[in-house]
Amino acid sequence: MSAAEETALERNPFLAAALAWVFPGLGHFYLGRRRPGVLFAIIVTVCFVLGLSFEGRLYTIESGQPLTILATFAVYGAGLLNIAARLLSSNPGGSVLAVTYEYGCAYLLTAGLMNLLLMLDAWDIASGKKP
Amino acid sequence: MIVLLLPVDHFLIMTVYALLVSAFFSLLWREQRVERWKLFGVLLGSLVLGGLAVAWLMYPFPS
Repeated sequence: MSAAEETALERNPFLAAALAWVFPGLGHFYLGRRRPGVLFAIIVTVCFVLGLSFEGRLYTIESGQPLTILATFAVYGAGLLNIAARLLSSNPGGSVLAVTYEYGCAYLLTAGLMNLLLMLDAWDIASGKKP
Repeated sequence: MIVLLLPVDHFLIMTVYALLVSAFFSLLWREQRVERWKLFGVLLGSLVLGGLAVAWLMYPFPS
């Protein structure tokens, strides 16, 4: 039996993906890949925090703006980081007049999308599709 | 209260973004240490040089 198959037997893919959503890298940590898990956590968290510091927007769905559906999906990919930021931030909509606003949005969207990829990766590892 | 964690420098912000994205994908897509560093270098170089190339191409447009 290969190492990938052993991992698939021991680990629950649903739990791995859910943990990966809750906090970046947590899914990999659960799968025993601690070093990549810590590095993923650092990368995604730094990206998200920089996005907030650049006064980027934590998107919400707006009627008449269909692209905000995709943006909201991307930002919610950051899991608890996104939820905590919405709860704690005095200005979750960002500051469109800030010179760094567009950079902030790009950083926030990228952090969420990276975490969504980590969810898929954790799922693949736990189900034995990736060694 | 918002605290700006980086100076407002377009090149610096772009380079930090390229660093984060390159590190992420090299960790995600490669297992071996040497292969990771190779991919990191290729991605970082492509993103930074590509960004500079696009900026250079767009330079005449505002006028």
